[in-house]
Amino acid sequence: MTRETESRRGKPDPAITTALNNWKTHSGFWLKAAVAIGMSAGLLLIAQAWLLATTINAVVFSKAALADVMPWLWGMLAIFLLRAGLAWASEQAAFHAAIQVKLAIRTQLYGHVQKLGPAWLSNERSGDIINTLSDGVEALEAYYARYIPAMSLIVLVPLAILVFVFGSDWISALIMLVTAPLIPLFMILIGKGTEKRNQQQWKSLARMSAHFLDVIQGLTTLKLFNASRREAQVVAQISDEYRKGTMSVLRIAFLSSFALEFLATVSIALVAVLIGFRLFWGEMDFFYGLFVLLLVPEFYLPLRNMGTQYHARMEAIGAAERMVEILGEEASSLPAPLAGEGLGMGGKEAASLPIRLQNIDFTYPDGRQALKDLSLEIRPNETLAIVGPSGSGKTTLINLLMGFLQPQSGQILIGDSPLPAIEPEAWRAQFAWLPQKPQLFPGTVADNIRLGNPQASLEAVQAAAEQAQAHAFIAALPQGYETIVGEAGQGLSGGQIQRIALARAFLKDAPLVILDEATANLDMESETLVQAAVQKLAQGRTLIMIAHRLRTVRSASRIAVIDHGQVAQVGTHAELLETSPVYRQMVQAYGGEA
Amino acid sequence: MNDLLRLLRMFKPYWGWTVLGIFLSFITLLANVGLMAVSGWFISAMAMAGAAGVTMNYFTPSALIRLAAIVRTAGRYGERLVTHEATFRLLAELRVWFYQQLEPLAPARLEAYRSGDLLSRIRADIDKLDTVYLRLLVPLVVAMLATLVFVVVLLFYHPLLALVEGTLLLVAGVFIPWLMNRLGHTTGQQIVATKAQMRAALVNDLQGMGELLVYGAAASHASEINRLSHELARQQQAMSGLQGVAQGALGLCANLAMWGMLLVAIPLVSDGRLAPPELAMLALFALASFEAVMPLPLAFQTLGETLAALRRIFELTDMQPAVLEPQQPLPMPHTFHFAFKDVVFRYGENADTLHNITLDFSPASKLAVVGATGSGKSTLASLLLRFRESASGEILLAGQPIQHYSGEALRQHIAVVPQQTHLFNATIRDNLLLAKPDADQAAIEAACRLALIHDFISSQPQGYDTWVGETGVRLSGGQAKRVAIARALLKNVPVLILDEPTEGLDPETARQVMHNIVGHVQINQQSLLLITHRLQGLEQMDNIHVMDAGHIIESGTHAGLLAAQGHYHYLTSINKLLVEQTKS
Repeated sequence: MTRETESRRGKPDPAITTALNNWKTHSGFWLKAAVAIGMSAGLLLIAQAWLLATTINAVVFSKAALADVMPWLWGMLAIFLLRAGLAWASEQAAFHAAIQVKLAIRTQLYGHVQKLGPAWLSNERSGDIINTLSDGVEALEAYYARYIPAMSLIVLVPLAILVFVFGSDWISALIMLVTAPLIPLFMILIGKGTEKRNQQQWKSLARMSAHFLDVIQGLTTLKLFNASRREAQVVAQISDEYRKGTMSVLRIAFLSSFALEFLATVSIALVAVLIGFRLFWGEMDFFYGLFVLLLVPEFYLPLRNMGTQYHARMEAIGAAERMVEILGEEASSLPAPLAGEGLGMGGKEAASLPIRLQNIDFTYPDGRQALKDLSLEIRPNETLAIVGPSGSGKTTLINLLMGFLQPQSGQILIGDSPLPAIEPEAWRAQFAWLPQKPQLFPGTVADNIRLGNPQASLEAVQAAAEQAQAHAFIAALPQGYETIVGEAGQGLSGGQIQRIALARAFLKDAPLVILDEATANLDMESETLVQAAVQKLAQGRTLIMIAHRLRTVRSASRIAVIDHGQVAQVGTHAELLETSPVYRQMVQAYGGEA
Repeated sequence: MNDLLRLLRMFKPYWGWTVLGIFLSFITLLANVGLMAVSGWFISAMAMAGAAGVTMNYFTPSALIRLAAIVRTAGRYGERLVTHEATFRLLAELRVWFYQQLEPLAPARLEAYRSGDLLSRIRADIDKLDTVYLRLLVPLVVAMLATLVFVVVLLFYHPLLALVEGTLLLVAGVFIPWLMNRLGHTTGQQIVATKAQMRAALVNDLQGMGELLVYGAAASHASEINRLSHELARQQQAMSGLQGVAQGALGLCANLAMWGMLLVAIPLVSDGRLAPPELAMLALFALASFEAVMPLPLAFQTLGETLAALRRIFELTDMQPAVLEPQQPLPMPHTFHFAFKDVVFRYGENADTLHNITLDFSPASKLAVVGATGSGKSTLASLLLRFRESASGEILLAGQPIQHYSGEALRQHIAVVPQQTHLFNATIRDNLLLAKPDADQAAIEAACRLALIHDFISSQPQGYDTWVGETGVRLSGGQAKRVAIARALLKNVPVLILDEPTEGLDPETARQVMHNIVGHVQINQQSLLLITHRLQGLEQMDNIHVMDAGHIIESGTHAGLLAAQGHYHYLTSINKLLVEQTKS
C-alpha cells in the first residue's frame, strides 16, 4: 500500500532505490575502476585541447610552419592512441561490473522464488515472473554499466575542465559555473513526473508478456470457440496501448533532453560570443580563447548525456520494483529452520513415525477458507486414502503436508517434531509425489524419470517404468527411453505423462508416497495394472492418496472422508459404509459407473 | 539479408514516417557540424581582426551560429519523436501479424515448440526489430548523405582535405562496422539463442516447481539457470568488448581526421592558399563531422542479433498450416451428418495412427468411441474439427468432402470439451463468455447448473467474477473441467464433442453431469460424440465404437456389444469385478 501511495506522489519507493544501491556491492571494485579510467581519459582530453590550441595559435599568429609544430602534433597522436585504449578499458570494466550484479540478482531471485514454492506460484502469473527473471534483470545492465559510472564522471570531468578554464579565463568559467547546475536541476524537475509513468510502463510490459503466454497456450481453445480473430484485436489493442504508453514516457524524456541541449547550446554560444568580442577588442589572448572554446562543449557533454543516463535509471527502477516485491514476499512455505537447529531425517524414519495434523486452519490470501480445524493422524506404514467431493480441501491438505503451505493455526507433527523444525530438504527427501498435472521437463524420457535421481542406471529406470506400466509405450516411442519430450509433454497423451511421473515416484523409493489422483487419465486396463503396482509400492511405506475412484481406495488400510475443509469420518471401507452418509453416497454413485 | 528485405517491405505503409525521420536526422547533423565549424572560424577571424585593428561583419556569422543552434536542438527533438513513433507503430503491427500467422498453425504445427519459446518470439524477438529502423536504416542513410556532402564541401578547399576526410569516414563508417559485424555475428546469434533457452527453462521450472522440490532436482535446475546466466554473461561480455573496441577506434578515426586536416592545411596556410581562420574551422569541422558515423558500428554489431531474431520469426510464419482452407468454401449445411470412409491418419512419417476408419455420425445421434489411451480416439475428433488432414480416405459432411468447407465456419457449429482444458487467466465469466460473447446471466447460470459448477461458483466471494489463475490452477482439475463443460454447453450448437469429459470428477458428480449433458442434448436435438475410456452411462448412446490401436474392432449398442461377448464385454466385466470387490 505504501508503495502505491508513494509512487502516486511521483517519487520512487525508497526501498527500490535502496535495493539498487545495495546491489552495487555485487560489482566489486569494477565500478571504481571504470570511473578511474574515465577520469584519466578526461584529463587526456584537456591535454589534447591544450596541444590543439597551441598548434593553431602558433600557425595563425606566429606564422609557424608545419615543421615547427610537428612535436605538438606527435604529442597529439600519442594522446589519441591512449584515449582509444582507455575508452575500451572503461567500457569493459563498467560492463563487467554490471554483469556481476545481474548474475547475483538473477540467482537470488530464482532462489527466492524456489523458496516461495509452488503454492505461491500458483497465485502468480508465471509469464510475469519469467519476465522479471529474464528481461527485468537485463534491464539493470544499463543502470550499472552506464548510469552509475556516468554519475561519478558527471561531477569529476567537468570539475577538472572548470579548473583549467578558470586558469585561462575566469569570465567563461563563471558562465559555466552558473549554468551547469541549472541542467541537473531542470532534469530533476522533469524527471520526477516521468518516473511513475515509467514504472507503470514496466508493469504494462509484464502484463503484455503474461497475456501473450496465456493466449499462446490457449490458442487451440480460442480456435475451438472461433475466438482467435477476436483475440487478434485484443493483441492489437494491447500492443497499441503499449506503444502509446511508451511514447508518452519517451515524449517527456525527449522533452527533457531538448531542454538540456538547449541550455547547453545557449551557454556554449554565450561563451563563444563573449570570447569573440574580447578577442576583437584585444582583451584576450587567442590561445586561451581557443583553448576554452574547445573545452566548453566537453564540459557540457556529460551533463547533456545525463538525459539518456537518467532513462537507464528509470528503466532499472521500473524493473527493480517487481524484484523488490518478489524478494520481499514472505515464504508461506516452510521457512528453513535456524542453522544447526534443523532436524535431519535418516533412513526410513518418516515411515516409522506417525504424522499428526492437529487443528489445522488454512485460508488462502484471497479469503477462501480451505481447511478449518482439521485433525488427522497418519500411521506409519499405512495406506491412507483421502476422499471427498471436488473442492473439499484435499489438495490444500497435501500442500500443507509437503510444506508448500503453512497453516495459520494448528500444527503438523512428524513423530514429536513439528514440521517447521525439520530441514525442508530433509523432509522432502522422505516422500515421492505424483501431482494431478505432472510436468515433463525438456530432455529425454529417461531423464524425466531420473528427475530426483540423476545417477540411476537405465536398468533402474526401466524397472521403475515397468512398475508404472509405462515401459511398453516408452519402448514403442521412436527413440525409446532416449526420446526427447517437450513442454507439457506434447506428443504424449495425458495418461502417458501420468505414467512417466508415476515411474519417477517408483524410482525415488522414498518411505512416504503421496499420490494425487494417481490413476486419473489412465484407461481401465492400465488403471487396474497401476493399481496393483501402487499396492506393491505401499508395502513397507506410508502411502497417502487422494482419490475420486473408489476402486483405488479399496486397497487403503484407512479412508479419511474430507468434507468442507474438515475430516468428516475416518475408517475402513466397511466401517464407513455403515457410518458415513457422504461415503455411502459416493459408493452408490460408483456402482452406477459400470 | 533476404529476411531484411522482407522486413523492409513491411515498412511500406509507414513510408512517410520513415522519410521524415531520415530528413530530420540529416538536418540536425548538418546544423551541428555547421555550428562547430562556424564557431571556430568566427573566433579566429575576430581575433585576427582585433589584432589587425580592422572592422569585420560579425552579424552574419553570429546569426548563422544562432540558426544552427536552434535547428540542432529542435531537429533532434523532432527526429526522436518521429523515429520512435514510426518504430512502435511498426512493432505493434508486426506483433499482430505474427499472431495471425501463428493462429492457423495451431494446434498441429505448434506442438513441437515450447510455449516459452513462442512467447520469446512474439515479444522479445519482435522488440529486437526496432533496431532495424532506429539503429540501422536511419543512421545508414544519414551517414551516406552526410559523407557525400562533407567530401564535396572540402573539395572546394583542397582535394587532399577531401581525401583525408573521405578515407577516414569510410574506415569509421564502413570498415569498422563491417569488421564488428563479422566478429559479432555469431555472438549476436548466441545471445538471442541463450536468452530464449533461459526463458524456456524458466517456464518449465516455474510450472513444475513442486516436482523439482519434491524430487530434489531444484538445486540442479537452479544451477542450470545459473549456467545459462553465466553463459549469457560471457557472450554479452564478448559483445561489449567489441563495442569498446569499436568506440575506441571510432574516436581515433575522428581525431586522426582532425590531425590530417592540420597536416594538410598548415602548409596551405603558410603558403597563403588558405585564410588563417579556416585552419580552426577545418579542425573543428573534421572532429564534428564524425558524428555522422558514430552510430554505425553499434548498428552493424546488433545486426547479428536482429537477423537471428528475424530468422526465428520467419521460420515460424513460413510454415504451412496442417490444414489448407478451401479457396471457395461451400456454405454450411443445415444438418450435420458426418461420415468417415476408410480414413487413414499418421503423424508425419510415423506409423499409421488410424487405420481405415469407417463410421457414421448422423444429426441428433449419440455416438461413443471407447478404447484405451492412445488408441486414436482423440485424433478422430481433431480430424472432424479440421485441425488435421487425413492421409487417405475421406470424411464427408452432408455428402461433400469436409475439405470443401471452411474450418472456421465448421467449428462455429461444433462445441468441444477437449481432454486438456485451458482456462484463461481471466474471470470465470470471461472464460464462459468465450463460447458466446452475448450470453446473458441466465444462460450462463443454466449452463453452469447443468455442469454442476454453479453452486461452487456462487459460493465464491466474487461469484462469477472470481479470477481463474494461470492455466486455471486455482480451480481444482474437476472444477476446471466442469467450467469447460459449461462453456461447451453454453455455445449451444448442433454438434457436441466431449473428450473424456468426466476425468477428474468424483463418481457422483460425473454420473450426474453426464446425465445432464445427455438430457440437454436430447432436448436440443444436438448430436453428441463422446470419447472416453470409462464405460459409464453408455446405455444411453445410440452407437458405440470400440477402438484399439487405431482400428475400430467392434461397433453396436451397449446391449448388442454385451451380447456379442467381445472386447467390450471383457472391459465391462473387469470393471464389474472391481466394483464388486469394492462393495464387498
